[in-house]
Amino acid sequence: MTTTIKRTAAERVVVHRRKFDWSVAGRIVLLSLAAVLVLGPVLWTLSTSLRPPAESFQLPPSFLPLNPDFVSYGQVFKQLNIVGLVLNSALVTGLIAVGQMITAALAGYAFANLRFRGRNALFSIVLATMMVPAQVTIVPVFMLIRGVGLSDTLMALILPAIPTAFGTFLMRQYFLGLPADLAEAAAIDGASPWRTFRSVYAPLAMPGLSIVGILAFNFHWNEFFRPLIMTISEENFTLPLGLVSLQGNLGTGSISVVLAGVVLSMIPALVVFMFGQRALRDGLTAGTGK
Amino acid sequence: MPGSNGKLRDISRRTALGALGVGIVGATVASWPRLTGTDIPGRGDNSLSIAIMGTAADAAARQKVVDAFAKVHPEIKVKVQAIQAVDWKDFFTKILTMVAAGTPPDVVYVATEGAQLFAEKLAHPLDEYLRRDAEHMKEYFEDVHPSLVEAFMYKGSLFQLPIDWNAANMYYNTTALRQAGLERPADDWTHLDFRNTLAAMRKARPSDFTPYYWTNRLFGGVVPWLYANDTSFLKETKSGGGRWLWDSFYANDPTRGMRSGGYQWLEANATDPKVFESFDFLRGLVKDGLGVRPEEGGGNSLVGLFASNRIGTTPAGGYWVQGLSEAGMKQDDYDVQFFPKWRTQRHQFGTAGYAIMKTAKDKDAAWEWVKFSSSLEAMQIVFPTPNTTPARRSMVNEQLYAGKGPRHWKVFYDTLDRFPSTGPIPAPPQQAAVETALMKNVSLAVSGDERQLKSALESLQRDLEFALRRQP
Amino acid sequence: MSTASETRVRNKALRGNSTSGAGKPGRSGRERQPWLPWVFLAPTIVGMGIFTLLPIIASVALAFFRWDIISAPSFVGFDNFAEVVQDPTVRMSFLNTILFVVVAVALQLGLALGLAIMVQEKLPAWLRVFFRSAFFFPLILSAASVSIFMRYLFNEQFGVVNWLLSLVGIPAVPWLTTPGGSAAVVILVYVWQNFGFSFLLFIGGLASIPVETYEAASLDGATGWRKHVHVTLPLLSPTTLVASVMAIINALQVFDQPFVLTRGGPGDSTRTAVMVIFESAFQRLEFGQASAIGVILTLIIMAITAAQFRLSKRFVFYQ
Repeated sequence: MTTTIKRTAAERVVVHRRKFDWSVAGRIVLLSLAAVLVLGPVLWTLSTSLRPPAESFQLPPSFLPLNPDFVSYGQVFKQLNIVGLVLNSALVTGLIAVGQMITAALAGYAFANLRFRGRNALFSIVLATMMVPAQVTIVPVFMLIRGVGLSDTLMALILPAIPTAFGTFLMRQYFLGLPADLAEAAAIDGASPWRTFRSVYAPLAMPGLSIVGILAFNFHWNEFFRPLIMTISEENFTLPLGLVSLQGNLGTGSISVVLAGVVLSMIPALVVFMFGQRALRDGLTAGTGK
Repeated sequence: MPGSNGKLRDISRRTALGALGVGIVGATVASWPRLTGTDIPGRGDNSLSIAIMGTAADAAARQKVVDAFAKVHPEIKVKVQAIQAVDWKDFFTKILTMVAAGTPPDVVYVATEGAQLFAEKLAHPLDEYLRRDAEHMKEYFEDVHPSLVEAFMYKGSLFQLPIDWNAANMYYNTTALRQAGLERPADDWTHLDFRNTLAAMRKARPSDFTPYYWTNRLFGGVVPWLYANDTSFLKETKSGGGRWLWDSFYANDPTRGMRSGGYQWLEANATDPKVFESFDFLRGLVKDGLGVRPEEGGGNSLVGLFASNRIGTTPAGGYWVQGLSEAGMKQDDYDVQFFPKWRTQRHQFGTAGYAIMKTAKDKDAAWEWVKFSSSLEAMQIVFPTPNTTPARRSMVNEQLYAGKGPRHWKVFYDTLDRFPSTGPIPAPPQQAAVETALMKNVSLAVSGDERQLKSALESLQRDLEFALRRQP
Repeated sequence: MSTASETRVRNKALRGNSTSGAGKPGRSGRERQPWLPWVFLAPTIVGMGIFTLLPIIASVALAFFRWDIISAPSFVGFDNFAEVVQDPTVRMSFLNTILFVVVAVALQLGLALGLAIMVQEKLPAWLRVFFRSAFFFPLILSAASVSIFMRYLFNEQFGVVNWLLSLVGIPAVPWLTTPGGSAAVVILVYVWQNFGFSFLLFIGGLASIPVETYEAASLDGATGWRKHVHVTLPLLSPTTLVASVMAIINALQVFDQPFVLTRGGPGDSTRTAVMVIFESAFQRLEFGQASAIGVILTLIIMAITAAQFRLSKRFVFYQ
């Protein structure tokens, strides 16, 4: 396979073998240092969440959760309706992700493979919307949502998030990366443009679509600002909002409980990450690597 | 790309995709009530909606009050909505958002921080109801200190009945005090005594310990030191009016003469020499390693730090007792004393109570809720544990603090009786802008040299003038 | 992993698009069904029209009014803009934002590129997978929760960071209570969480550089970092463009980290532009002023992005 070719080629690049070994060792040391800096805070969070509140500021810190104590996790469940929060977050992020995948696939395909008047101008406008901060549009969006009677509902979070500039951009790049002769062949077979899209291009674009889905999930699972403004009843809260309330008012929150909440909220995103990491990496290679 | 068995894979993939599609549509339809919020009980009906700051757990805790209320007023349907927020400012933002969304609550639990904002823009005065039910309300006012009530007067009208409150007293760690070779400080200890206490604690424990921990916020930050020094960062005046209330409910109170139609904070006062003096005192504590530089919006881990014996003293109120007890502190591990004396020993407090919104559909029903919530019965249901100080003097008793401490819990309510000029958190209707102006200049003011302090106070003065000029 | 030949096909497709327009079926489709592209575009275009463009227009209009949500709006002309540009806090916040973008993006891209090159060179496979996952990991956390635990780590008296520094004899750093310290923490925490995304983009870019190019370079005697300067960087420039445009757009809108870590303080030292928008809109109810600040910020973001694309014409090297 190509990877083997690549490896031998890479080995040939470096002529002096001994120097090469040194550089590998040096690189591993540097990379490990970076990995420690990246993972250390997370490990500390995990281990502190597993300690009783009175020991939360223990120094020297412990990074490994020996003698775990789950008191703080119990507290999280007592203080928050975790199941409800997770359900809301899952509903919101799931529907946004699916909605983004569908709309981005359609629009990306049109921008990549169909010709129409004003295509470039329209694409530039779509891209330009990425540059407008959410804080700028939130008030009019809020009034709009109020106008259609969806204030303080999950729909208020979902609907505005479905059209996606970034997803459209990614899918356009992805479709451009697919060979153009496929479409020619399909056209010769007499397939309609819609059929060409549905039967030829859409299945091939699945890796790209999964990136759109994963990124949408990741972003909206962790989203803080829009839910902060758009939802009021706690029945409609998503996970990040619930977490913040664990901090308590006037210093009455417990650090272990807060961190236990943080750890709990990581788990679903972690699962998606483990399953989606490969698709994400390969997809981004194809999507924006060029 | 499809391989040799591409066709088969294609079919199974199509089936899978189809199933996925059906699943998504099905899930969407099934969760439609959740998506549109129609499954929330009491939503859209005409029950009296009460907004409080807190979590689901807090709302559930109020359910007992709602049940008790239903026994007295079966005709009024009540729904308590807990609104989660990081701090009061955040909570008021949420209420304003509800107003903007066209779904304002009928009654809101508002703290001093927002009292004047609500009085100015959103709330309906209680005067007519108090006059009407004066006979019934006598018992409440007899049990509640007039200082608390005065904090909810605005331009001669009363907008809320205090339910709970807290003053900034001084908590101390008894072990740290003992290690420093000191006894419990006297009731009228001065700011210099306080400084000496910190220095002794520092000497006894040179590391992994902070003699004075404080946070940068409106309550318990720099303001108690300003009040103790007979000044504030805003010029404090009082408006006329309100005699009707003091004459009818506090006719026998010795402090009746000094009561007013409410506080007013109309001008900035950051360049007052006494303000400089107070800030300079705190700057000295920071410089000599006796106190921390305060973090902005910090203090969320304060209970944990204090409970792990890393803090010598910190300003806080009665709301801390329950948290410290849960964090494992025993009754003898800590105690509380009045805030130190300077030119005066005036304390700072914050209080909270229900306000009726102007937009409330049924204000009479709303008043019934406010009235019931101020009753002894309701307050005993709401405050089973010392996670705040009840506004009723009769409830701040041995029983409330039994087993949890502190030994001198009497300090909490005595603060009001001993120092009747004790005043509320300075919070004009432009509170958000004023608070931001103060917060952002405090850290700079206390963590540099004298020149930096001067320029920080000048900048505070400028920011406050700017904030007060704004439309509330 | 994509192969060199695949990459070339892709590049051909890309170039073909940029010069001669897209595939042919579209053209025939255009003759028979001119409405067809619009069916594909409808969900996105209608959605964006309603939820992005309309609000932008409304926001621009709102910038000329004084409005607090509770009472009716009143027209004030350019007053909001005049007040906003004179407000020292607003000016400071824009300055902070620019400084933040420069430092954070430079750090983010530099780290990401360096680590990506190190990971892509010869390394045991399991280590490569481990490092990749590790560097990407912070991205899956929410900025709000990251900021929550970082606050504890950077605590001046009891935080782990100062404890570690004390081990090597460095006295406690007042991280969150001095202007310099706060700015450093906000930047560090932001870069900590976000460099993984650029890292991933660079990994993708590196994978698509044909191996022959390196062979040619090594035959010419280029080794080590010289190889990277002369071969990798130019060939990676399209990726760098995408990565930097995205990093800059993101950094210009930074909110969660300073909001949770420092609340913009001490002073105005970590107040960013979008924080000022949030504060004036949702804490002070000055929606007109908030919109005015938003309009100015959006214009600045657009100008910067346009400048980047213009510069890229000169510096980005397409194979």
